[in-house]
Amino acid sequence: MATDTTTQSYRQPTKQSRTRTRLQGDSSIYVTIFVALIAVGLTLGPIIYLALGGFRSNGQLAADPTGLPDPWVWQNYWNILTQGNFWEYTLNSLIVAVATTAGVVLFGTMAAYPLARYAFKGREGIFIIFTAGLMFPLTVAIFPLFLLLNDLGWVGGYWGLIVPQIAFALPVTVIIMRPFLAALPDELEEAAFMDGLTRVGFFYRMVLPLAKPGMVTVGVLAFLGSWNAYLLPLVILTGREAPTTLPLGVTQFQGQNAADFAGIMAYTFLAMIPALVFFLMMERRIVDGLSGAVKG
Amino acid sequence: MTALEASGTGKGPVADAKASAAGSTPVTPAQHNARKDNRRKWIEIAIFVGPALLMFLAFVVFPMVMAARYSLYKWDSRQPFELAEFIGLDNYTRALFGGTDPETQEIFWKAYAEPFWNAVGNNAQIIALSMLVQLPIAMLIALVLNRKFPGRSSVRLIIFAPYVLAEVTAGLMWLMLLDPRGPVTQMVQGLGLPTPPQGWLEDPTWGFWTFFFIVSWKYIGLAIILFLAGLAGVPEELQEAASIDGASWWQVQWRINIPLIGPTVRVWAFLSIIGSIQLFDMAWVLNKGGSTNQYATIATLMVDTGTQRNDGGYASALAIIMFIFSMAAALLYLTLVMRRDNAARARKGA
Amino acid sequence: MASMRKASAAVAFAASAALLLAACSSDDAGNDPTDAPTGGESSEEKEPVTLTWWHNSVAGDNGQNDLGDYWQSVADAFTAENPHVTIEIEQIQNEDLQRTRIPLALQSGDAPDLFQAWGGGELATQVESGYLMDLSETLADDVTRLGGSVAPWQYEGSTYGLPFQFGVEGIWYRESLFEEAGITEEPATMAELNEAVQALKDADITPIAVGAADGWPAAHWWYNFALRSCPQDVVASAGTTFDFSDPCWVEAGTQLEEFIGTNPFQDQYISTVAQTGATSSAGLVATGEAAMELMGHWNVFVYEGFTDGSDEAIAALHDDLGWFPMPATEGGAGDPSAALGGGDGFACYVDAPPECAEFLSFIVSDENQAGAAEAAGILPVAPAAAEAVTNPVLVELSQVAGNAAYVQLWLDTSFGTNVGGAMNDGIVGIFAGTGDAQDVVDLMTAAALTQ
Repeated sequence: MATDTTTQSYRQPTKQSRTRTRLQGDSSIYVTIFVALIAVGLTLGPIIYLALGGFRSNGQLAADPTGLPDPWVWQNYWNILTQGNFWEYTLNSLIVAVATTAGVVLFGTMAAYPLARYAFKGREGIFIIFTAGLMFPLTVAIFPLFLLLNDLGWVGGYWGLIVPQIAFALPVTVIIMRPFLAALPDELEEAAFMDGLTRVGFFYRMVLPLAKPGMVTVGVLAFLGSWNAYLLPLVILTGREAPTTLPLGVTQFQGQNAADFAGIMAYTFLAMIPALVFFLMMERRIVDGLSGAVKG
Repeated sequence: MTALEASGTGKGPVADAKASAAGSTPVTPAQHNARKDNRRKWIEIAIFVGPALLMFLAFVVFPMVMAARYSLYKWDSRQPFELAEFIGLDNYTRALFGGTDPETQEIFWKAYAEPFWNAVGNNAQIIALSMLVQLPIAMLIALVLNRKFPGRSSVRLIIFAPYVLAEVTAGLMWLMLLDPRGPVTQMVQGLGLPTPPQGWLEDPTWGFWTFFFIVSWKYIGLAIILFLAGLAGVPEELQEAASIDGASWWQVQWRINIPLIGPTVRVWAFLSIIGSIQLFDMAWVLNKGGSTNQYATIATLMVDTGTQRNDGGYASALAIIMFIFSMAAALLYLTLVMRRDNAARARKGA
Repeated sequence: MASMRKASAAVAFAASAALLLAACSSDDAGNDPTDAPTGGESSEEKEPVTLTWWHNSVAGDNGQNDLGDYWQSVADAFTAENPHVTIEIEQIQNEDLQRTRIPLALQSGDAPDLFQAWGGGELATQVESGYLMDLSETLADDVTRLGGSVAPWQYEGSTYGLPFQFGVEGIWYRESLFEEAGITEEPATMAELNEAVQALKDADITPIAVGAADGWPAAHWWYNFALRSCPQDVVASAGTTFDFSDPCWVEAGTQLEEFIGTNPFQDQYISTVAQTGATSSAGLVATGEAAMELMGHWNVFVYEGFTDGSDEAIAALHDDLGWFPMPATEGGAGDPSAALGGGDGFACYVDAPPECAEFLSFIVSDENQAGAAEAAGILPVAPAAAEAVTNPVLVELSQVAGNAAYVQLWLDTSFGTNVGGAMNDGIVGIFAGTGDAQDVVDLMTAAALTQ
């Protein structure tokens, strides 16, 4: 019986019903929901605790660490949002992340294009150099990198953060974009050349629009990487005029308000929100992109 | 990631596709002017690849080479490098087996090789546990969630959320949750269960497991999402056919779904292994790898010796060793495990 | 160089200076022109100079930053008298400043002109690297005036920085909890401390809080045992010779092991941090959960951070807060009245303009020392400013420093980051039960051999 309905729904292959799987009896839906609830609880529980902790006073937290806000204290969030540098740090993080993302998407796609669609000597060599970059996280190079950036006079400003972040995001970008661009049908290219388009023209008129999903994926990854970065900003953003990014702001707040546990909780939760909102907005892209990248 | 897999075999998917196609030069109306075309092609390549390659060489490869150079010196990283003293491979031998001098080997073993191998062991344990614990759990959750139920899309969304959080914020959150008298301690004690005698994260034996739990919390969402995406690609006919034949839910999963998302699992495993070797941010934010290095990784040990102890040469040597480990793991994995996938792909293509 | 004979002089009371002080300890001490190094008129013709100044006084809870505000007023006073000088201040959180910002800035050759200096091994490295300006001649008068406390900022007979505060550490305690446990006398010997610990345990009070998760708070217990078991010259020379072959170093660890064996610390001490949250070691003492904590002079301000900030709450805290020096151990070659201490100072970058030294001299002038003590509660180095300390606990602390046989700079600061870090790691191992007394010495010896 159950199989019957499934087959029927499969005959009208809307996207929805494609993923529908009704192989098990209806009672097992409870198993699914049970597992889902546990997973959601473990994932979300800590974050909710943090958010609620921000609504409590230090006295409440000390008296009963597991309790609910009673009464609700709005002061912690209010102070951070109105007094401190929270918004300034958020803006700084945003500037750096947007610039990094733009650079990664542009230069990464450009680099991946010939590596995907030109046949030339040394192509695999260049590609292997890029992929080797995956094995070299920024952590490893932090000291020589600082000295280099200092010679360039980029320490203490946005560039010292943005350009190295682009460079370190290139490997994964090239690796994701290359098969993506290679998958574009050859006929398209041939037709374009027949129409007198050059390679460069083809890149701008055809490749960029068609590669959009892939570019969004690498862009989202680059954005999150930059948004969450800690070590490089810590080292590079030095100097009187240097901007401070949000992750640095979190540790700075923690260091300066050591006794104020509730305040730290509020600040930490607030610092999580932009990433969560961004994730909610881009969720489909992230998931599709990641799985697309893995499936090739 | 396909290209990554391919790089192991030295042959890109593009090469496969193109070998039979147009040949080495693009088809243009001006075939006769081949030399001019050729020059033009190289200029185009330079324009496209140039900026990225230059940035990459300057900000990734060059610092890497410098780190390799520093690793051969005795260098207090607060001093100018001109004052450094060339000591060959001493930094490496110090990390690997306590140096070559029999007089100092014993204390060097204790002071350097032991923490080093402890960190390597932690990295290795995290890799092994990812495969033995994270993988089955992620697989189970993915299989169970791979059906329609109320709120499915929200559940998928939520499970992936920790993955996008900054390590700084997530780490700080867990520090507060795992406070000696924090909510986790209270809840566990409320259930009548024992808590670690020395605290969740700093207890010399429990600390590592708490750390692994946090890391799993943070990163398991990626595995689940990837597996779900892989499962969505499994043809429904296969599952239906099997279940008509009377196969149980488990049998369907075991015989059809799991084998068919094998390639996805193997790619995730690759990412997980590389990520585990390079694990840094979370361990550092929590407490610099732990006060007795109970969850130190090679990367935290490296940054610790570099920034807290200012032993620039030794830290650079650790950096290079870490690079070699990542490279070796990647090459080994690509040739041993993922070769099958590439071979299968090649067969399909032929 | 690390040991300071009679740093006492620095913080001891100098009665003769009291009169001088009374005259200028009012609201804006910096305005007194008598101490200004250059006259207002002549400076107008000078080339404009910008001094960059990095210090570690950042805003704390509630945005209060007394010392930071005071430094700003000092800078304003200096520029008022020297219009050709502009001073740009950057306030940086201590850990970032010491571990990341200053080392990288010095490395890069683009360093601030005047920056925080903690003395000891770190200063020695900076001098060896040629980063610091030799102030021996230009500030000779100040070196004499400030006395023995300058020693950690000296290297091979030359002065490279000046301290603005210096204090010794000891055990902070809650008087009410001592009372509750029936302890009437401040422990003066280890035996008495052990008795007090037992009495507190019997009264169901956590005897001692220690923030071992941060490493150094735990390490300070070992330092004190080392100070008691090692002869002065052994401790003093260790910072330069890095010779740890004297058995007294292992003995220090053995004594610590014995002490930990009596279970004097709070539960989960290895997971406890020093200052963050009510469950930190400072939080436990501030909230009356634990009775004692071994800490430096700054801890009174950390405790204050756990009150609601009202004057009454702070007064109540001060009322109940006691302090006594680390008790003497039985036997041991060290002087039982020796004390461990440390301080904060400033040094000038080697390429800084000469105004840097002038400004540094201005910062540590008697008036500004007294002003900083009044405005921000620092423990001044200048003997003439000692009167400005009003907090009774800090007054007592100064007296102990004054009466100490000698004051030894924190051992980790004295030994430098590499050996000091190895030492702290080893000591935390003792606390965690993963290492022993011999390990500490071995780790230090190994680290010394690699540098």
